[in-house]
Amino acid sequence: MAHMSTAVRFALHSTVLDNGLRVVVNHDPTVPVVAVNLWFDVGSRDEQPGRTGLAHLFEHLMFEGSANVASGEHLAIVQSVGGSANATTWFDRTNYFETVPTHALDLALWLEADRLASLELTQETLDNQRAVVLEEKRQRYDNVPYGDVLIHLIGLTFPEGHPYSHPTIGSMDDLAAADLDDVRAFFATHYAPGNAVLTIVGDVTVDDAVARAARYLGGVPSSLRQARPVAEPLPPLTGIPRTEVTADVPTDASYATWRLPARDTREFAAVDLALAVLGDGQTSRLHRRLVRTDLIAEGAGASTLGLIGGNSIGFAQARALAGVRAEQLEAAIIEEVNRFLADGPSAVEVDRAKAQFEREWLDQLGRFDSRADLIGCYATLYGDPEVVNRRLDEVRSLTVAEVADAARRYLQPEQRAVLSYRKESA
Amino acid sequence: MKRPVVPAPPVWDFPSPRTAQLDNGLRVLIFQRPGQHLINATLVLELPLSAEPRDREGVSAILQRCLDEGTASHPGTDFADELEGCGAVLAGGTGYAAAHLSLEVPSTRFGTALPLFAEAVREPQLADADVRRHVELRLAELAQEEAHPSHRGAIAFRAGVIDSEYRAARSASGDATGVGAITADDVRAQHQAHYGPERGTLVLAGDFGGEDPLPAVVAAFGDWRQPTVPISHEVPRSAPARALLIDRPGAVQADVRLGRFGIDRRHPDYAALRLGGFVLGGGFLSRLNRVLREERGYTYGVQLANSPARSGGLLAMHASFRTEVAAAAIAEASELLRVDGDRRITDTELTDAVNFLVGIAPLRCATASGIADQAAALVEAGLDTGFVNTHSAALRQVTPEAATEALERHLPLNDLSLVVVGDAEALAEPLRSAGLQLELA
Repeated sequence: MAHMSTAVRFALHSTVLDNGLRVVVNHDPTVPVVAVNLWFDVGSRDEQPGRTGLAHLFEHLMFEGSANVASGEHLAIVQSVGGSANATTWFDRTNYFETVPTHALDLALWLEADRLASLELTQETLDNQRAVVLEEKRQRYDNVPYGDVLIHLIGLTFPEGHPYSHPTIGSMDDLAAADLDDVRAFFATHYAPGNAVLTIVGDVTVDDAVARAARYLGGVPSSLRQARPVAEPLPPLTGIPRTEVTADVPTDASYATWRLPARDTREFAAVDLALAVLGDGQTSRLHRRLVRTDLIAEGAGASTLGLIGGNSIGFAQARALAGVRAEQLEAAIIEEVNRFLADGPSAVEVDRAKAQFEREWLDQLGRFDSRADLIGCYATLYGDPEVVNRRLDEVRSLTVAEVADAARRYLQPEQRAVLSYRKESA
Repeated sequence: MKRPVVPAPPVWDFPSPRTAQLDNGLRVLIFQRPGQHLINATLVLELPLSAEPRDREGVSAILQRCLDEGTASHPGTDFADELEGCGAVLAGGTGYAAAHLSLEVPSTRFGTALPLFAEAVREPQLADADVRRHVELRLAELAQEEAHPSHRGAIAFRAGVIDSEYRAARSASGDATGVGAITADDVRAQHQAHYGPERGTLVLAGDFGGEDPLPAVVAAFGDWRQPTVPISHEVPRSAPARALLIDRPGAVQADVRLGRFGIDRRHPDYAALRLGGFVLGGGFLSRLNRVLREERGYTYGVQLANSPARSGGLLAMHASFRTEVAAAAIAEASELLRVDGDRRITDTELTDAVNFLVGIAPLRCATASGIADQAAALVEAGLDTGFVNTHSAALRQVTPEAATEALERHLPLNDLSLVVVGDAEALAEPLRSAGLQLELA
């Protein structure tokens, strides 16, 4: 039973327009809806020192108007036809997407084309969206307990100046210093058809979707895509670097981080399963030990953050119950990691982690918008959208020994960095 | 190239479920959704929180959290091992009128997971140690919520706009006093009194590969016999308007809620108010967001919505404003809520709002869990799933005048409650200068 699988395959059609825009289509008529997704191969890793935060600022500026669309109108007009639209920025990408009733597909494509061909960048919108980003940072990072966790963790995991060493929100000083010329140069460098993948999933046939994509986006002028230097993987961390944060947080917390292989490699998938056995769900070793048996944590877990440029990140973390100190959490986490490295996972644990991976995978593929995003992701990062049809089988094919070996190679305690939060004494 | 003209979205009908009722009274709604290989099974158990003992509030939530900590057939951790082993996940939600327990599992393992799901509902162990631990975890969670401005504001707003005589005025998962007193006996008694098939509706959604899932439901739940105690649902009333400032020293933003007790889906103004709310604070270029975010840059975003409960609801504008401009932002927001004179809702605004709310329905119901969530919310509200289509028709009948009047009736500017969580030292003086009778907490 544990090996029975859901055969889920998506027919994908991939083509490249004359201007270099790759178009991938998956026809699915089950709901009268179409998801449109544009992945631009630009993320915070592409920012220059002193100009961090520009990729994310762009995610905002792209909604501020173009030749035929007024400021803010992009989102409003999609909503007015019964659709939704948004965008996100991450280390390896910026994605823009609309999910609309089928008959509004043309509008979504036209909106994407208009801003790609004629984005209006003015001092007024730059100033305004900088202010909005500042409020976003305050709301998400500065005004909530533990809000700056990821900033500290990537700072520990990557050396200063490394493309992944700063967060996507960027430095507020850098943003304040950016001027219109910087912003225009960023657009010219990264926002070109050849640097993007358009994915269309839903209630539209392949031929129809490709024809519409060509009609609306085929006329956007092409430009040369800048080659990005190959990112060499960094060796494991040494010396157990530490960051200690004393803050107004409800309780102590402890985090460990490791450098892992680049995402979607076989070794990465193996460590991902190892960390799932350690820290995903109620059956995981960290939950059983810290939350259930020792009663020292209100939550404990482990996970990966997959990245394409040389290294991904692995995490283990726990948040203390009142009166428990970060050291106790750290010691318990490391004991469990050591036990895992010594004995390896059981076959039952690995099967369970695979079964949970399958559920999460089906969840992502069940929605048109997240399916389109995943297809766009693989088409952008690997030039091969078909990964979406292979990945589950690849994960299923991993052996217990591969999981154990990968963990021994990448999750050694002396290869970690440590972040501790201490509750400020009153 | 010219902007494509898009006609109004076609009317989409929420699918009619196949319905059944088992001999023991359990109702079953089945939605066959081709292509949805992740099955969702959600059990909605009618369980008004007003039935909780006053000094044990939170007991329903603790019960729910203990359901997957072992069953008679799979004691202790065996249960989670089995459940997670088949790729399933259980999630719970405590509504004021019903408990929700949902299972998500790949369709190939639905047959293995459903009996486990039934075990958790029918024969949970509810062992002393597990209850004690979940009480501790809930107390820790309360401390985390207290430190989080948005959680804290949400709890204070609820308490501020609903008369404290009603259970709905307090957190569904209980506060420290009630939760701290809960024993394993309380939890077992709550299960005994309220978990029975007559109270339940099981919603199934997904791709069952052309097979009928009903026999599996009958096998798992058919012999469930458990009489439950009689219940009634409270009909909460609103509390008098107030302005509350909760101190969070040094906070860089103020978390702001402005509004009052709202309305439920049965209210004749429900559709009109939903549309009016969308115009003021639902869309990206809503009146509030256009000014406070896009023009002023005061906030990352501002929303206004009426969240319906089984009886009544919560109608609130919510935003985080940076501390220095918070008082000005609140004053401007209040102005933006006016719909009198030349500020009445326009034809264009209303048309866009109708198109959004009607058109978005199929997007929200595209997945098995989307369908199941929608159906479960309606079951909790005591409504039929046909409500989605009735409501969709009602939205298209609303006029700009009706939307304007609904806002005037339900959002009277001289009778709103304000809850601000932020740095009191910086905020109190400017808010008082704006004429607010401020209570500090």
